Amino acid sequence: MFTKSWHSVGPSLDECIKCNICTSYCPVSAVTDLFPGPKYVGPQAQRFRENGQPQTPDHSVDYCSGCRVCNEVCPTGVKIAELNARARAQIMAEEGIPLRNRLLGRNETLGKIGSIAPGLANFGLHNSFSRVMAEKVMGIAREAPLPHWSTEGTFGDWVKKTQAVRLKSAKKVVYYHGCATMYYEPFIGKAAVAVFEHNGYEVLVPPQNCCGLPLLSNGEFDAATDYHQNNVNKLLVYAQAGLDIVGTSTSCTLTLKEEAPELLDFDTEQAKAITMATWDIFEWLRERHDHGELKTDFREINMVLPYHAPCQYRAHRVGKPAMDILTLIPGIDLRESQARCCGIAGTYGYKKEKYQIAMDVGAELFNFVADQGEAVEMTACDSETCRWQLEHGTDLPSRHPIEILAAAYGLYDLDKRDLINS
Amino acid sequence: MSDLLIIGAGLSGLMAAYTAVKAGLRVNVVSKGLGSMHWSAGTVDLLGYSPAQPQTAVKRPLEQIPALIEANPHHPYALLSNEHLAQTLATFVALSKDLGVPYGGAANPGDNLLLPSPAGAARPTYLAPKGQLAGDLSRSEPMLIVGFTGMRDFYPELIAENLTKLGYPARAAFLPLKLITQRHDSNTVQLAQGLDNKEQRALLGAALRKLVRPGERIGLPAILGMDAHMTLLAELERETNSLVFEIPTLPPSVPGVRLFKSLRRYLQEQGVRLTAGIEVITANLTAPNGVPGAVQWVESATSARPLKLRADKYLLATGGILGGGFNSDMHGRVWETIFNLPLTMPQDRANWFEPGFLATQGHPVFNGGVTVNQHFQPVTENGQLLYGNLWAAGNLLAQSDAILERSTEGTAIATGVAAAQALSS
Repeated sequence: MFTKSWHSVGPSLDECIKCNICTSYCPVSAVTDLFPGPKYVGPQAQRFRENGQPQTPDHSVDYCSGCRVCNEVCPTGVKIAELNARARAQIMAEEGIPLRNRLLGRNETLGKIGSIAPGLANFGLHNSFSRVMAEKVMGIAREAPLPHWSTEGTFGDWVKKTQAVRLKSAKKVVYYHGCATMYYEPFIGKAAVAVFEHNGYEVLVPPQNCCGLPLLSNGEFDAATDYHQNNVNKLLVYAQAGLDIVGTSTSCTLTLKEEAPELLDFDTEQAKAITMATWDIFEWLRERHDHGELKTDFREINMVLPYHAPCQYRAHRVGKPAMDILTLIPGIDLRESQARCCGIAGTYGYKKEKYQIAMDVGAELFNFVADQGEAVEMTACDSETCRWQLEHGTDLPSRHPIEILAAAYGLYDLDKRDLINS
Repeated sequence: MSDLLIIGAGLSGLMAAYTAVKAGLRVNVVSKGLGSMHWSAGTVDLLGYSPAQPQTAVKRPLEQIPALIEANPHHPYALLSNEHLAQTLATFVALSKDLGVPYGGAANPGDNLLLPSPAGAARPTYLAPKGQLAGDLSRSEPMLIVGFTGMRDFYPELIAENLTKLGYPARAAFLPLKLITQRHDSNTVQLAQGLDNKEQRALLGAALRKLVRPGERIGLPAILGMDAHMTLLAELERETNSLVFEIPTLPPSVPGVRLFKSLRRYLQEQGVRLTAGIEVITANLTAPNGVPGAVQWVESATSARPLKLRADKYLLATGGILGGGFNSDMHGRVWETIFNLPLTMPQDRANWFEPGFLATQGHPVFNGGVTVNQHFQPVTENGQLLYGNLWAAGNLLAQSDAILERSTEGTAIATGVAAAQALSS
């Protein structure tokens, strides 16, 4: 299994100098004994997992949330989080994948099914009886901040419905919406389209699949391989035409760029083309701004806004582009979170045995928000599950920075979460 | 766009950032990961051993440095006058008070401290965090070295026995690890964070009071609190009516982490941007014939295409071999990873090392590095300026073996501050 790319991720373990910096900054091992820390389950245990070792030595690797703080602080470049993701997949391949993990990994399927009758689906999922049953039968924590299906149609419905009024332009961009925008938060996609069009770009929304990250982090690599191959097939023509593929979910864009190809051995020219064409939306907007191409006709927004760059964003290693752009908006008092992780880490905090760990990890962020004072009305964060966790942990609404930017252009209502002239 | 991009977040990079932001520059610091301060003892070694007399600890380093420079006129300390060097250290001491991690020196000003190492050796250093000062072996109180049963990498009996052999009376004692943590397994940083907790602190104080004999001072592993360190230190001294000191541990070293975290927080409050996880991999340079070139931008690795980072001025503070500023191959070639600056060390493996591991004259490979002019700007072998907007500081500088000299932090502070002064003026 994974023979080829053990070669790329694997040898990085030889760079480990055992300095323990990763363990010192790991937000999970800071709050629980169940996870001994990145060094132990990563580069250390890796030596026992190589080449047909009969037993997988350490199941505690399943408590790695995949936040990648270890990679961020490692002074020598060990790919610790990737070693852990592979080790988890190896355990799952040998011992079987629990139904819960299979379910949580299939965001796209869940989105589609729920969207057939979203009102009913929301009621079905979000009543206390179902949540208790889901916890007892499947181990999905009853308090965990699961999303609500959009009751006003999917993002795809909106794109179809508004096709006639969408901007046509020589400048084109491909929008990768991801599952959350498609089924739960179409308003994020609307805000993104409004910002693209305001800057003169025609937005193409081609057919696309789930990026596969929920499957990767639940250890189901085979299914993730199919998803990534489908995305490569569907998006390649745009990448080859020189178009940028821009996404609003920072973990999706990270997966398209790097996580899927690296973890799944996609060592192909096609996958490389997708990597090089893919941008996170604020990374892309900052690039436009650096070239003097971003409109800055902003309205004043007077608010104190705590902003958390999610760990998945920091894993892009492009700095904090949302900070760079939101700072341009007059009146906005941005407060930069230094918290390591909100705790949820995709589907990690949904799991019964990990819910409290996720909340304890998130305390650092929740406390940061509380410290910003009474004037705070909302927070901002680039990742959907992190926003849901932030709302759960702070009782304040949380917005994607693209919603803030669209509002600053006068195109978007931050309270109603809708376009102003839609 | 920033005025100054500093590559490297070790002590030299951060002291340079401090100096530059005070001079009014907009400063951006990027680093591949978090490094050197996490594996240092948290002390400021200025000159512990002089290459001329490698067996004898230096007693008064600032007075010894002129002789060091006379023997090696290209030593990094030669880039500063003795007064300037002393001034940079005073700057650091003043800053450490503002950071809430105050540093001090020996009781007799100008002397090196002599602190117990984790192996029970006597280690010369110039400045130390307040929490280590009472360990100075020039003091006469006998020592009680307290460890925790089950704590890895801290051996009180070894320390006490070795100290006693050296003529510094010490005895060892153990407390149960359960006293300070409920966890099954913790590293030093986690143990220190656990001792930020008030109840845990009180338990430790009460237990130590029972162990200590009148007139003894108490040495503990350096885990005495992270954010609440100064409070805990005062509490323990009050409770036990004894002096209390920390002995640094194997990495991660809590005293180094405390200094790093407080310095980072302070710089962020001053508007400095610090980003870890950014590995600068290459530079775009202009170098027209014979004229010094310029750095146009540098590029860092990302999840996809390289990211261009631009600034008016660039300071390279990536450290030497351990810090990651240099790389090498199996044939013995050593190179500077970003600008490919000329390095002075032997470029063949056979000449890297002396035969003895603990060779008293040190190993040639550790003495090599980047050569700079008096303004801290990298130059060619002939002393010609390479790039008009590039400066360098810290342990990547040539002509000093910090391992041999015990001069790592002194070099970092002195050259970091002075390079930032040079580029700001």
